[in-house]
Amino acid sequence: MNHKLILASLIAGMLAAPIASAPAHAAALQRTPAQAQTLTAGDVDKIVLDKANPTEITFLNRYSGGQITAVLEIVNDFNKTNPYGINVKLERVDGGYDDLYNKINAGLQGGKVPNIAQAYQNQASFYRGAANAVVDLTPFIQSKKYGLKAAEVADYYPIFLESDKNPQFPGEVLGWPTSRSIAMLYSNLDWLKKLGAKAPPATLKDFEALACKATDSANGKYGYIWRGDASDYAAFVFANGGSIMKADASAYDFNSPAAVEALAMLQRLFKNGCAVQLPSAERNGEQARFAAQNVLFVTASSTGLPYYASTITKAPAKFEWTMSMFPQANPAKPKVNLYGASWSVFAGTPEQELASWLFLKHFTEPKNIAAWAKASNYIAVRKSAAPIAIKDVNANLGKTFPNAAAGYAKLYDMAKYGAVEAPVAGYDPVRKIIQDLVVEVAVKGQGDPKAALDAAVVKANEILKENAPQ
Amino acid sequence: MQRRSRTIPTARREAALAYTLLAPALLLFLAFTVAPLIFGVYISLHNWKLGPRQFIGLTNYVKALGLESELWPALRTTLSYTLLSVPLQIGLALVLAWLVFQRIRGKAFFRVALFLPWVTSTVATAAVWARLYSPDIGIFNAILKSIGQPTSQWLLEDRGIFTLAAGALGVALPEWAGGPSMALASVVVYTTWVFVGYSMTLFLAGLGNIPSELYEAARIDGATGPQMFRFITWPLLSPTTYFVVTVTVIGTLKAFNHIWVMTQGTAGTQTAAILVYRQFYEFQRAGYASALAVILSLVILLVTILQNRLAGERVNYS
Repeated sequence: MNHKLILASLIAGMLAAPIASAPAHAAALQRTPAQAQTLTAGDVDKIVLDKANPTEITFLNRYSGGQITAVLEIVNDFNKTNPYGINVKLERVDGGYDDLYNKINAGLQGGKVPNIAQAYQNQASFYRGAANAVVDLTPFIQSKKYGLKAAEVADYYPIFLESDKNPQFPGEVLGWPTSRSIAMLYSNLDWLKKLGAKAPPATLKDFEALACKATDSANGKYGYIWRGDASDYAAFVFANGGSIMKADASAYDFNSPAAVEALAMLQRLFKNGCAVQLPSAERNGEQARFAAQNVLFVTASSTGLPYYASTITKAPAKFEWTMSMFPQANPAKPKVNLYGASWSVFAGTPEQELASWLFLKHFTEPKNIAAWAKASNYIAVRKSAAPIAIKDVNANLGKTFPNAAAGYAKLYDMAKYGAVEAPVAGYDPVRKIIQDLVVEVAVKGQGDPKAALDAAVVKANEILKENAPQ
Repeated sequence: MQRRSRTIPTARREAALAYTLLAPALLLFLAFTVAPLIFGVYISLHNWKLGPRQFIGLTNYVKALGLESELWPALRTTLSYTLLSVPLQIGLALVLAWLVFQRIRGKAFFRVALFLPWVTSTVATAAVWARLYSPDIGIFNAILKSIGQPTSQWLLEDRGIFTLAAGALGVALPEWAGGPSMALASVVVYTTWVFVGYSMTLFLAGLGNIPSELYEAARIDGATGPQMFRFITWPLLSPTTYFVVTVTVIGTLKAFNHIWVMTQGTAGTQTAAILVYRQFYEFQRAGYASALAVILSLVILLVTILQNRLAGERVNYS
């Protein structure tokens, strides 16, 4: 045989294999909406999970440290005690939510997905819209045999359940709220006292004034640090009474007067030298700088509380600090940024989907969710678990940082003012647009806030259209 | 006839043996290099999403090559990065190689010390350098402050280095003359620190291959040090220089890891490779990102061919 022919056959064979297999993978994911989401509560009642024939499910997550330990404990307890023969297997992704998202997307391309995974609302929406890969939990919740009773549903904070509903998929529940946080203001109380303020600022006006009063850039002291997080900008927009997206999710609207004012305020802070930008490579640098008393205010997630406590404990000089509600334009009508990844169930066999739901249900039982809140510092999503979580945080932090512990307790009152950024597919790149925009307009002081936001909203709406459910 | 019939089976046997020996490497090359490349081209011709995928022909390429495309500024940044990095890295590597090739004390230590950054994790060293560059808590600004000099924003500074230099002299430059951003220049300094040891090691190998008799003869003839470098070292080092330049140019054109760790493509550091990554992972535009990747590969191929044409003939292999 001709040598060239042998070589050509080898090459052709190698090349043909992946190309030929590609449509097969694609076909596996191309379930039409009519084929998926077809289970009713009655169908769910009929599914039988046989202990003699165990159902194994995987839960893909990015937890580490104390969080993964707590999850593992609950998983082990569930695996031992559930009467259905369900065996939950944990699979971890090292890294952040982006890495988890990329792993799931790669899995969807290759036709291999977990049964349960952590997902932000916009990510769940993407999985649902693009590949019909995430299932609606409604029939499972409503199932008489396996679902939740009315009293149990009422024990969940309604805002947390609401935050997993998506206007793009009316009536569907694409995730189960296990973890919720609120964007908060961390303040150095001793420093505030020196500035003549008795408490953290309640209004944005006071926040700006105090940030500027605190600044001494020659000595590396600043009022505020910009972490480069779009959620912080969203929190400022909410605090001004605005929103990131219209309630019906038909378009982005972060160019409203409230959003323009949020950006203009950040621009003023930088223009007047009252704020400093945290370099992207300086991981958790805002905590270190806060602990070193180089910044007066940090805006960050309520979940960061123990990390701040730990960093401040290690700092050479101790000081009093707290976390409080985000300062508002109108404190009588507060609006705070509520966020947190939910746990979504991926399409599988009806048995796997039911097994996944039963695990979610078990995980959010009051005693488990209280243990989870203690380990993770997320807000306990059930009312009956809240006092336990508050007591735990108080026991941990109350002696050393009583003001910070008191700040945690107030989270449960302010959750009702929560607003969600944008639960739609394609919001991740929009977040990058917002982050770049804040740096350009506020940090660098280049351009007019209104014009920049108008242009960004046009881009964001193009992405919204591009990612619209098919 | 008899002789020929014996020769053909021998040749076949030799060929069969050659293919057998080549097969493992060839299969790996095909499976992990050629096949993904072809598959990438296939993806680039589609609107490639999780759901139904649509064949759209060259639409992604038309978009990528459009006047408003982000590819052009990204390619400009990539080219700036290459033009800054390559001469600095290679020039310094040659000087260092020459120095540590001499009979000096602690030669082995210097060789190891200079090579060490190259064998250390890029992500780790890039993260450390990013901290050194921090405007508020970094060591570089601390040094500048201690000697009473103005500090810099380093990795956060998107203004061009020429703009900043001219600004210090009170001259305002037009935008097009601003040059690469300070952030990109800061990344180049890090890149040089990492890769100079690798290039230096290659130059050392090249220097070691030059027969010492040539230098001895030149010395007897009264040649000076610079003359020996000009007429002996430089020409006989040309194959190594050619290889180092080619590898470095290709490396800088596809640079990604350390730039991502240090700046995530902000402040004028969005190279073509970072643009590809962002389009793929952040925007989930696999088809468009693949088209960009194909174009970047073609650019690298073109630059390498040009380099081969321009420099290849001047290489002295004898």
